[in-house]
Amino acid sequence: MSIRVDEVMDGIETSVRDELRRRLVARGGPAEFRDAELFARVHEVLARAADRRDLDALLLPELLADEEAWKPAVDLRLSSHRPIVGPLIVFVKRRLVLPLVRWLFEFTEENFRRQDYVNRVVMACLEELAIDNARLRRELEGRRGP
Amino acid sequence: MKLACVIHRFGADIAGGSEGHCRAVAQHLAETHDVTVLTSCAHDHVTWDNHFPPGESMDGRLRIRRFPAVRRRDLARFRDISRRVFSGRSSNGEQEEWFRENGPLTPALVDEIRARGHGYDRILFWSYRYFPTYFGLPLVADRAILVPTAEEDPLIRAAALEAFFQLPAGYLFLTPEEADLVAERAPVRAPASVIGCGIDPAEGVRLPSSAGGADKTLAAVGIADPFVLYLGRVDPNKGCESLLRYFTRYVAGRTRHPAPGTEHPALSTQHSAPSTQHSAPSTQHSAPSTQHALQLVLAGPVNMPIPDHPSIRTLGFVDEATREALLSRARVLLMPSPYESLSMVVLEAWNRGVPVLVNARCAVLRGQVRRADGGLHYRTGAEFAAGLDYLLDHPDEARTLGAQGRAYVEHEYRWPTVMAKIEDVLARVAPAE
Repeated sequence: MSIRVDEVMDGIETSVRDELRRRLVARGGPAEFRDAELFARVHEVLARAADRRDLDALLLPELLADEEAWKPAVDLRLSSHRPIVGPLIVFVKRRLVLPLVRWLFEFTEENFRRQDYVNRVVMACLEELAIDNARLRRELEGRRGP
Repeated sequence: MKLACVIHRFGADIAGGSEGHCRAVAQHLAETHDVTVLTSCAHDHVTWDNHFPPGESMDGRLRIRRFPAVRRRDLARFRDISRRVFSGRSSNGEQEEWFRENGPLTPALVDEIRARGHGYDRILFWSYRYFPTYFGLPLVADRAILVPTAEEDPLIRAAALEAFFQLPAGYLFLTPEEADLVAERAPVRAPASVIGCGIDPAEGVRLPSSAGGADKTLAAVGIADPFVLYLGRVDPNKGCESLLRYFTRYVAGRTRHPAPGTEHPALSTQHSAPSTQHSAPSTQHSAPSTQHALQLVLAGPVNMPIPDHPSIRTLGFVDEATREALLSRARVLLMPSPYESLSMVVLEAWNRGVPVLVNARCAVLRGQVRRADGGLHYRTGAEFAAGLDYLLDHPDEARTLGAQGRAYVEHEYRWPTVMAKIEDVLARVAPAE
């Protein structure tokens, strides 16, 4: 007897997805989720976005005006605008202040990183939905004819 | 051929994936070639402190030439530059600085490659992310064979790598997924092969009728069947935080949903539950009955807090006998790492007929499991619980998956197979004369 992993995983994933659907419906989720087939399609689109490896290659961020305006800054750049004492201030910030507050910096940094990840997954979801929408529109227009 | 192997640190007692891979391959190459290992004096991969004396020594047939690091790694500076590079907004200069800070900063090793590198027929470089490879390989690119050990981490997207990955005259990859990852950054036109890693046949292979069972070595450290195993560095970067969260939730779920009619339902598994159908598992945990509670055993150096939980046993670094007993007796090997270029411990589990449950978000692990049909994979806590339920509650199927994993290792990862692939790439690389 041999076992195909993909077949077992199909069973597990279907079972987990059905359980999730039942739980969401029981907790007051959208009535549409009562339809198992529809839920499976919704699940597929969102899971595809969540699984995307290329979260740095998304269209929506390219359309936003300026990355600095929306992207949580997870890296800390120490600088000073003062012309003469600037290097001294940067030195003090880097060598004296930063070590003292590093624990706080690292705590917030981790949370910024999570927020950045969620932002990108949400953007990926929107992109998946936009792709589906565009494809369906094209199909519909093709059926309508010229 | 006269060969050199370049690696960031080297030694029999150094626990590291790429270091172990380099040493094993170099030893096998030395059976038919003249092999020199060019490496640092470091033992510690965090500080790169000079531990071994510089100069020449022998390790069996291998000639080892060690070069000192000129300074320790400055961890604060390394963290800062890592933040900039991993944020995706760094310049090429900052990326180059990252490779310098990552170390081990061994300019004498790079000078040696510059001065005498062309005296070798081929030079094999391990791990693109370290100073000796990143700065040494371009000096002898016409004869350089790169073993990238690339993972799906933020570094792989650094712009500087597009040019770097076009330099080697040959490639040895550990998995097809790793080859794809590198090809996404730069088209690989050089001779290349997916070699994995050689592994010798294990003694004590699990037979279809011998799941679990008592073991004196394990009894001495208080481990009894049934247990599931995590073997390796216990570290957040290896996915251990989510593993512990998923496992404690899983255990709580088994406690809340005991199987009907079982005397000790919580956290336990049955020893025999004949079932030949690949039935979809219930997400309500089911079926257990045995004397002992299921435990998660963590074996390896610990770099993070471990919750005080009756179902979690932390052994720290274990000796070879305990490691062997753990691998042979585990019900399931768990591999939660999100970043791997090849999981040796998964191969070792399969070598002993043990099925695995791996993180599907790591393309390499998912690919390994699907190619071998040697276990299951999960993306979420719910899939982790359902997968573990399946493997624990269907012992016949679990043993079949383990046996399929072993057959895969037999076919793909025995040394003669691996060395034939390496020799083929060595022969196809043609340096400029």
